[in-house]
Amino acid sequence: MRIFDPHIHMTSRTTDDYESMYAAGVLALVEPAFWLGQPRTSVESFLDYFDGLIGWERFRAAQYGIAHHCAIALNPKEANDPRCVEVIDELPRYLVKDGVVAVGEIGYDSMTPEEDDAFARQLELAVIHELPVLVHTPHRDKQAGTVRTLHVVRECGVPPERVLVDHLNEMTVHAVADSGCWMGFSIYPDTKMDESRMVRLIQEFGTERMLVNSAADWGRSDPLKTYKTGLMMLDAGFSESDVDRLLWRNPVEFYGQSGRLMLDPEPGTAVDAVTGNSVLRGER
Amino acid sequence: MTYHLGYGTNGFANHRLDDALAVIADLGYTAVALTLDHHHLDPFADNVARHTARLAARLAELDLRVVVETGARYLLNPHRKHHPTLVSEDQDVRVDFLIRATRIAADLGADCVSFWSGAGDSWDLLRSGVTKVLDRSHDVVLGLEPEPGMLVERLADALRLRTELGDPDRLRITLDVGHCVAVEPQDAATCLRQAGDLLVNVQLDDMLPGVHEHLEFGEGRLDLADALGALTDIGYSGVAAVELPRHGHAAPEVARRSLDALRAARWLAHAERTVREDPGSVQRFFSAAGRETGFGADDARIRLVVACAEASPDVAEGLTALYRRGSSAERRAVLHALTEVGGKAPDAGLVLVKDALRTNETGLVTAALGAFAGKHLDQHSWRHGVLKCLFMGVPLDAVAGLEQRTDAELLRMVAAFADERGAAGRPVPHDALTLLGKAS
Repeated sequence: MRIFDPHIHMTSRTTDDYESMYAAGVLALVEPAFWLGQPRTSVESFLDYFDGLIGWERFRAAQYGIAHHCAIALNPKEANDPRCVEVIDELPRYLVKDGVVAVGEIGYDSMTPEEDDAFARQLELAVIHELPVLVHTPHRDKQAGTVRTLHVVRECGVPPERVLVDHLNEMTVHAVADSGCWMGFSIYPDTKMDESRMVRLIQEFGTERMLVNSAADWGRSDPLKTYKTGLMMLDAGFSESDVDRLLWRNPVEFYGQSGRLMLDPEPGTAVDAVTGNSVLRGER
Repeated sequence: MTYHLGYGTNGFANHRLDDALAVIADLGYTAVALTLDHHHLDPFADNVARHTARLAARLAELDLRVVVETGARYLLNPHRKHHPTLVSEDQDVRVDFLIRATRIAADLGADCVSFWSGAGDSWDLLRSGVTKVLDRSHDVVLGLEPEPGMLVERLADALRLRTELGDPDRLRITLDVGHCVAVEPQDAATCLRQAGDLLVNVQLDDMLPGVHEHLEFGEGRLDLADALGALTDIGYSGVAAVELPRHGHAAPEVARRSLDALRAARWLAHAERTVREDPGSVQRFFSAAGRETGFGADDARIRLVVACAEASPDVAEGLTALYRRGSSAERRAVLHALTEVGGKAPDAGLVLVKDALRTNETGLVTAALGAFAGKHLDQHSWRHGVLKCLFMGVPLDAVAGLEQRTDAELLRMVAAFADERGAAGRPVPHDALTLLGKAS
């Protein structure tokens, strides 16, 4: 099984995760910018985070044979803090970089006017930079939030095939399927979606425009959920090609629209493991 | 109006001509260099006019611009390659062939007929042969190509012949940039500029100095971006076609790779030129260099940093901004470029080197310890940089000036490191043992 996790927050994960992900077949991923649990208080705090996404985290992933890409954005939750909003002015210089394959996560958290504004401005940036968009749908009032999201997306000028609407479930999938946008599902240990419900949705909707991710972060989550979904699909009688399409070819197709995917890990980072690669060894 | 990238059909000798043209056009080339040969529009066939008309329609359909090449190996003599030539006693066979070629070129709407002198020593024969071709053909431009080992071997020879014949307007120059690398006293870009307005056809391939062997781009010493930049500088708008006559066994794949290399080089030439005119534009190109020139190619970025530093009024600020706002790959390129331009802003360069040495990214640490650090970094920081390499498993050949700067204190530090590794039962890097004179 070869796996491309289209949404995972590796900054919050350990090297053990990288190891077990690679062992399970994860060869590439996208880490969208999101909030860190602890709210940020300044633009500079974002910039250090973004620099990590195009620097240290990509290097760390390459140590384990995984090609790391990222999406850059101001997340909807922190779009409500005036101390953070100005970071939107800094986004363009990140959105031109190799390895930045989308604008995201953007969308709604509590559906405030501030979120409306940040959402619209960042969709505009996606148009300017010809990048795909990763849209987060809210955890609370998800159905209304999804409908409103799709309305905004329809009006914004980004073609639907370049938009991934994420964190869907049985209640929100239909509207997104009808919209022409890509459908993203986060498979979690006990919230969002689980593997068996996901397999049922694939039985109903097929694999076209469908993406499955672990969305693993600092909360209770599992970076192997993509792999486990693939196993359950095989158990349910899907072919290896179906699994490959869902877990590899689909994310490659979606993010490939950026023209910036690098499916080999960042070069220039090779070290002699025998003489001591200290990321692996917890030193330095 | 820019030049047209093409591919030579002599690199598709195992293909039917129609198939070759389709593959070349499908890949995205917009021109073709057509080598007349026994199986590719035989100029001695009875119905050549009909075939030519059909080919002209096919080229129009595929929107391919064309030049005619006359370097087929065994078209005139099945036993002796390339014979007879313009400098052979029986030069008339060649003259007749070249005149046939001009008729075909006219019917195809080709830019020119390209030809070479042949190997020999009779300058008089060459003059008479070229004169005959000029006199007996009409309207079609002839491109004389200097060819290693032939009487007209270098650009200077071709220009001399032209002068001696009274600068005939229809006698112009074909240049093979690989040949320039092999035999010219100056680089290919300089040759192209020197040929200037006389240039009517360009052949593209890589080569090593002194060796007449056509190589794929990147396998020789050609600076392809510089060569393409020179074509833009002189306003060349004709055909520039890949010339790889010995790669026919894998022609479609070689042609695809070649076009990738050409596009990358063309992008780089454009980026360098723009940055030299407007250093403020560097960030845009710098960030996109990976996807535009092939990932892992630090060279393009390094060239952009150098171009920026050479054109920028404030080198320190320029280098600092590129580094501070850079991804790891971008930062690496700035550090590598310090070797060439760090001397213009040594204080700023040192700040960046020390920043990189604080990171745990092997690529950054390696790039930081190049020639600039070898020359400018203080001894204490430098020693710690070397030790950090040993810690991280970075080979010490990345460290510039290792031999000259190694001192007793560094050896003490390395010995202590080796002892610590030994005490833990872990292997000591070979480079550490070598430095300590203990390598087996």
